[in-house]
Order: sequence, then C-alpha cells, then structure tokens
Amino acid sequence: MNALKFRETGQGKAGGLLLLLALIAGCTSTTVDEFRQGDTGIESHESVVILGRRQAGNRETSSDFVECVGDRLAQGVDGLSVVPEQEFLDAMFPWFEPRTAPLQPEHLGRLMVEEQVALTMRDFGVRYIIWVDGFTETLNRVGSISCTVAPGGAGCFGYGSWEDDASFNAEIWDVENYNGVGQISTDATGQSFMPAIVIPIPLIARVEANACQRLGDQLKSFVIGG
Amino acid sequence: MNHPGTAIVKLLLPALLLSACGASSVVISGSFPTPNIGKLPLSLAVVYDDTLEEFTYTEYSETGQEEYHIQSGQSHIELFNAILPAMFDRVIRVDAVEEGAGAGVDAIFVPNIEEFQLALPAKTRLDVYEVWIKYNMRLLTTEGDYLADWVLTSYGKTPTETFVSTETAINDAAIVALRDLASTFALSFAQVPEISDWLANR
Repeated sequence: MNALKFRETGQGKAGGLLLLLALIAGCTSTTVDEFRQGDTGIESHESVVILGRRQAGNRETSSDFVECVGDRLAQGVDGLSVVPEQEFLDAMFPWFEPRTAPLQPEHLGRLMVEEQVALTMRDFGVRYIIWVDGFTETLNRVGSISCTVAPGGAGCFGYGSWEDDASFNAEIWDVENYNGVGQISTDATGQSFMPAIVIPIPLIARVEANACQRLGDQLKSFVIGG
Repeated sequence: MNHPGTAIVKLLLPALLLSACGASSVVISGSFPTPNIGKLPLSLAVVYDDTLEEFTYTEYSETGQEEYHIQSGQSHIELFNAILPAMFDRVIRVDAVEEGAGAGVDAIFVPNIEEFQLALPAKTRLDVYEVWIKYNMRLLTTEGDYLADWVLTSYGKTPTETFVSTETAINDAAIVALRDLASTFALSFAQVPEISDWLANR
C-alpha cells in the first residue's frame, strides 16, 4: 500500500515537473509595434499580396513565414483575399525578383507604367503589397544530451536549452496611390527545453508561430483599418 | 552455415563504403515562368553550343576530393527556351552560327557559361547555400559578325533547412540563380549599349 502510494506521488511529481516545463516552454514573449502613415481600407473585390524580402546576403525571409502570415490574414469572417506569393511572383516575372523588385513605394509608380505589370496587378485585384522582412535565429544553446545504444536497449540522458528570437518587419504599400501607408514590426522570443530521461522530450517554444499569428492579426486590422 | 543476414551485410557494406567515397551528382531541374514583358519586333536564331549543353561544374572538398558534379547545361537551355519566345517575335533554334544565315532571322544569339561558383554552409559557416554564375552573351549578325558581346552574372541562394539534403539545396539555389539570370537578361537586353544602337538604327 505504502509502495503504491510512493509510486503515485513519484508519478505526480514527474507529471508536475513536465507540466511546469511545458508551461515555461509555452511562454513566448511577443511585442508588436505599429506605425501608421496613411488611411487604409479594402473593398470586397480587392486583395493583398504578401512578399518576402530576399535582398540580404546571408539570410532571407522564409517563404513558410510569408505563407503563414497570408493564411492568418485570410482566416475568419473578416478574412482578406490574399494572393499566394509564388503565384504573384510567377505572374509578375521578372519585375518582383530579388534584384528587380521595387525597394521604395515611390518606385511602384514607375513599375506600373509597364502595361503588363498594370494589367496583371489589376487582374489580381491587388490593393496592398505587404513586404515582410526578417528571420528567426537561435541563441544561447546550453546543455548536452548523450544517447547510448546497447544490446539490452537504448536511451538518452541529459538536458538542452536554447532561445529563439523571431524579428519581422512588415511594410504596407498602397498600390492605388503608390505610397507607403504604414509599418508593423513584431519581435518574439522564447526559451525551448529538451530534457532527456531515456527518451528526449522536446518542449519547444512556438516563437515563429506566435510572431506569425500576432503579425497576421495586426496586419489584418491595419488593412481593414480606417 | 552462414546466416542469410551476414550475406546481405557482406553485399551492402562495400556498396555503402563506395557510396561514401564517390562524388554526388546533381542535375539541376526546375520550372521557369514566362516573362511578363513586351516583345521586341525581332526574329532570332539561338545556338546552344556543346559547352553550354554539357556544362558540368565540379565542387571539390577541402582535401581536394571531388564532392559534387553539378550538371546545369540542360536547365539553362530550358530557361532560354522559356524566356526567348516571350522576348522576341520569332525564335528558332539552329545547331551552328552558319545555319542562322539561311534562316531568315535578324540576329543570332549565342549564350555561354563562363564561370560557376558554389558556396556551401560547411565551408562558409553561413546558413545559406549560394550559387554564382557568370555568362558570356553574344549577339551576331547573320553573317557571323559581332553585334554585341556582354557579360551577365546571376546569383541565387537558399537557406539551410532541417531534413533538406545538400543536393536539393544546391538545386534550389541554382534555380534561384537561373531566375535571376532570366530577370536580368529580359530587362537589360535592349539596354546593352551595342544592342540599343543596333535597334535604334534598324
């Protein structure tokens, strides 16, 4: 009876520890900053396109993140019509490639002089181009996990921890007026843990997912805005 | 009596050791969009010579061993086949410059790869695979005289990702470089000074 009680208490403690770690791992801190330069609004027949900036030398905005933000904007009853990035880039080829894409909203006017560009833009019904620039990096890796395979079985023991930092900036361009209407930046950080007692248990902070969610929600309200 | 598993191991082990020693072969493949630009009122013959068609770059390890054979000739031909008809009124392919004379075209275009460079994360310590290509483009009269001879460079990169092989990443970076070539070529062709003068005098 006593032994049973001890086992129950031991399991409870282990469960409690895992729950605590999971809660800590779930803690991601996200900040969002918005800077509005002009009025916004979107009609039901208009759409937005989200494009990743890929001009930097040693990194580039991940297309998965761009797709995630687009999905977030399209969600819900107030969801916006979002043109998929690759479909837009292929249709607009070669005008929005890393080396040829406009870097300032004023350059959009020059680009729209090209008949094909203006026609394609009109076909998509693009009202806003949202440029997303940023990346997620892993910092402060500590700990070590060692795994052993023996004839009787295999197992790992140890502990690892790291911090992820996602930093993204979105610039919103009004295609109708060829001007920038605002910027939204998001910064998310979170600590991930990987304790290993026989098997490694990854407790991953959803840093990039949180950054995507917050940026997507903020962009949607900004574009619908007023 | 030998266990059947031992025979399998005996067969597989040399194969595994051999595969660990040899260089990997990467054949660049991908799809290219048609440029969304206005056509120039020109008919063009294009010559893909053997050096372009069979272009292969070999990347060596730091110890001088052959590491990757990158075959990108065919992908370049596919790229030019996608972009040239969108840029010019009429495009035909000929096997040699001499054939262009009787083809009733305005000019003959001969693209070539001059240099290919690959940067792997294991060597650069950056989290990207990079491909850099230098081209020599020639535009000739139907008699084979030079109209223009210019150099173009293209660059492509792709970030390192978990569960993505080096071969796939090299292919992705090369496809980005090919798209870069297509965009630069399509937008700068008429601005090459010699071509611009030739077009103005036509």
